[in-house]
Amino acid sequence: MTIAVATDGVAAADWREAVVSAASALVDAGAAGEGYPEACVRVVEENGPYIVLTKGLALVHARPEEGGLAVGVGVTRLAAPVEFGHPDNDPVDLLLAFCTPDPDVHVGTLAALARALSGGLADRLRAAAGRDDLARELKEALPDD
Amino acid sequence: MALDRQLEILAVCGVGMGSSLMLKMTAEDALRALGIEARVENTDVSTARGMTPDVVIGQGMHTSEIADLAPVVITISDFLDKEGLEVQLRERLTEQGWLS
Repeated sequence: MTIAVATDGVAAADWREAVVSAASALVDAGAAGEGYPEACVRVVEENGPYIVLTKGLALVHARPEEGGLAVGVGVTRLAAPVEFGHPDNDPVDLLLAFCTPDPDVHVGTLAALARALSGGLADRLRAAAGRDDLARELKEALPDD
Repeated sequence: MALDRQLEILAVCGVGMGSSLMLKMTAEDALRALGIEARVENTDVSTARGMTPDVVIGQGMHTSEIADLAPVVITISDFLDKEGLEVQLRERLTEQGWLS
């Protein structure tokens, strides 16, 4: 069972605020522990802005042991885009946050997301009418286990 | 010289479980389109250093750290761009004589 959450119109001054906000939605939903948002920020600090996978979209995540309690996916749409310092894919207006308790149980969820993203999920999320619409588009992309 | 075994391909990212898994899927799609049989794994940059793949794929910030790891190192900026990766794979594998 994948926990899916959506937040819309989120104000973020910079990439850190955007990452913390996206990951905090997973904490609020009970999918991740309190320390998860800061762990997601550290991933970018330590490894660079590679989590900006494609134009305008970041996959916010950290390792399972940083606080993954359940498999969770959240979509966060920003009120205004932020720069991550990515050479090609900035600025970012959409964040997909992700957490898992175990490095293996998430594969199906991420695989489904990757497939949905190749099939235009990012454009559908950008066109969503509001938070409920965002959540609906996200849920449609996830496996119904 | 043509390889007499399956190609070993490694998709890398910083944490080795999220972004690189998406990249692995993109690579599998691109390889399928090219008709190439390959085994694709994904991992983080540090673990990658101990491996001996034929091809490494990742973003420039990671491939620059492991530029000598494999005969073919492919740098991409978009983890979901199957067509772009297909073009690079075709060119680089042909150079090696692994694709004709």
